[in-house]
Amino acid sequence: MVDAYIRGVGLSCALGMDAGSCVSAMLAGRATPQRLELGGFSEPLALSYYRIPDGAELFDPRRFERLLPPVVQAAVRHAGLSADEIRGLPIFMGSSCFSVGLAETGYAAALKQRSAALPMPVCDYDYPAGLARAALGCEGEAWAFNTACTASANALLSAWRMLQTGRHRHALVLGVELANLTTLTGFAGLQILTDRVRPFDAERRGIVLGEGIGALVLSTAPGPGALRIRGGASNCDTYSVTTANPDGASVAAVLRAALAQAQLAPETVQAIKGHGTGTGTGDQAEAAGLERVFGRVPPLSALKGYLGHTLGACGVNELVLYACALLQGRLPASPGFEQPDPVVPVVPLSAPTAAPPGHYLLNHFGFGGNNTVLVLEKPA
Amino acid sequence: MSVRVIAASSYLQPVRDGEALPSLDQALKDVSREHFRRVDRFIQLALIGSGRCVAGQALRPECGIYLGSGFGPIASNVATQQQMLRDHEIPKPYNFVNTLGVSAGFHVAKNLGMPGQNLFISRRGASLEAALATALTDLELGVLSQALVGVVEEVTLPLDEHRRRRDLPSDALVAEGSHWLLLERDAARGKSVSMKHFDDLGSLEEELNASSRENDRVHRPQAVDKRGRDGRAFHDNPDAAVAAEFAAAAMAGSLFLANGSPGRGYTLLHLGP
Repeated sequence: MVDAYIRGVGLSCALGMDAGSCVSAMLAGRATPQRLELGGFSEPLALSYYRIPDGAELFDPRRFERLLPPVVQAAVRHAGLSADEIRGLPIFMGSSCFSVGLAETGYAAALKQRSAALPMPVCDYDYPAGLARAALGCEGEAWAFNTACTASANALLSAWRMLQTGRHRHALVLGVELANLTTLTGFAGLQILTDRVRPFDAERRGIVLGEGIGALVLSTAPGPGALRIRGGASNCDTYSVTTANPDGASVAAVLRAALAQAQLAPETVQAIKGHGTGTGTGDQAEAAGLERVFGRVPPLSALKGYLGHTLGACGVNELVLYACALLQGRLPASPGFEQPDPVVPVVPLSAPTAAPPGHYLLNHFGFGGNNTVLVLEKPA
Repeated sequence: MSVRVIAASSYLQPVRDGEALPSLDQALKDVSREHFRRVDRFIQLALIGSGRCVAGQALRPECGIYLGSGFGPIASNVATQQQMLRDHEIPKPYNFVNTLGVSAGFHVAKNLGMPGQNLFISRRGASLEAALATALTDLELGVLSQALVGVVEEVTLPLDEHRRRRDLPSDALVAEGSHWLLLERDAARGKSVSMKHFDDLGSLEEELNASSRENDRVHRPQAVDKRGRDGRAFHDNPDAAVAAEFAAAAMAGSLFLANGSPGRGYTLLHLGP
């Protein structure tokens, strides 16, 4: 196995405008969803939302151009790559929004001019990666992963595997989710939104959406104190396109596959970053799968109470938060959890605790039955 | 280690002005284990192409799905935007769920009984290459020993909107399609498949000159986007055109197929004996 290290990170999410302030806010326990009221619909639509505190109008189509470059530039700067290394940097990007916000604003503006406007005038899965390429002056290949809530976790896993082949020494991995009407109204229509996310709690009622842009540079060259990615695994549960199988069988399968790939026994896992969406069956399936593999589940942090569910970006966003907390010797708490559920065999951490060296798992589960688990190592 | 194409399929259907989209009902019945309700045309195309590709083949439990597309499920996105912005309604749940690229892969997996890795990957103008590179990497590393790789592109009506959306001339020929390859590591049959990436056209040409022989079929980047080549139906975007070309060659010959553009690099796909 070729060692692959997290050499640089960048992040903007509801916790702050850069990775450092986001991690400080998380460890200080700040979690602040806002109330969002969406006009223009036949029925009023109000929901909780974790937004990036940039002060801009939420659906401003130029936000992407303003918010993404500083994040990728920070990750590359921290990684200390040379100009040549940046120029050839491959980009692995995962998202669930891509250019859909641009398409919405374009269509809405055209509708004001004439009723026969062109819907979906823009469709560009490469758009976020294109912004990153332009911001960095990078000419490497780009991959856009579109696997719902596992998208950027799958992007990272593919980047890690690409480094294993020796064809690249570095890769930029992106997770991108910015506010758009399709996502907000689509999830409202599915009736799984709630006002407060409560992962694994007996009173959990659904998800709270959020936005965030995360980036990390994965490299075969170690940096001082850098955490190491040890791979992972991904599979597909064909139980339902929108609902996880509550028996946890496919979750257990992907956990076992990730452990086998990293050549680890379950008892060597120090702690887990849960997916913890706060939905009834989602958390039940995750907990059931964890119990099947571990019996007694290792300390688990659920982070969506800090930044909301950033969907396709959550893999990278939550990895950046979790990894930075590990480097500070802390396992994050799980805001929103208060009351254990008798049918859910997981009690997440309610306060930050010490994070020893060792191996950590990061869970991601999404629509389409897509399950991805990543393995992270904190060196001694 | 070698990777071979052990099965391939290519569904390519022109869509002409003034005509409805062709019915997919019989083609779907031919490949589907069950009747899937509320699936959109993009999913139906994926089911047809993947089903035809693996017909008669023994799929291994860990076989992965790598679905590529340049534009994805456009019709469901159009429906969702019209419901939200024109009709001021919350999108219908099935329309919204079908906008997710992962939905097509889910239904392919369900139809074919594939619990392995399931990815939707895009790279504008080169989605086959992006999906294939990912699959070949996983095969090379032994993550899996079989991979089902496909590209799906749909056409939406009215055609003038479809052409405007893709910035095509008003008389451009358009087609929908679903093109698939079943790859297997160290297989004893099928054509070998490989790919290389080049930063510039000069390096690509050097490789082509060194590797190809006089009678080899060689398609250079500038040829991929020529409409109506060989008098056959034509895809209006290179993602599907490359996939159609490659899947056809996998069934009937060898091929060097190059694609790419300045500033984004070039990829050379090779199908050999």
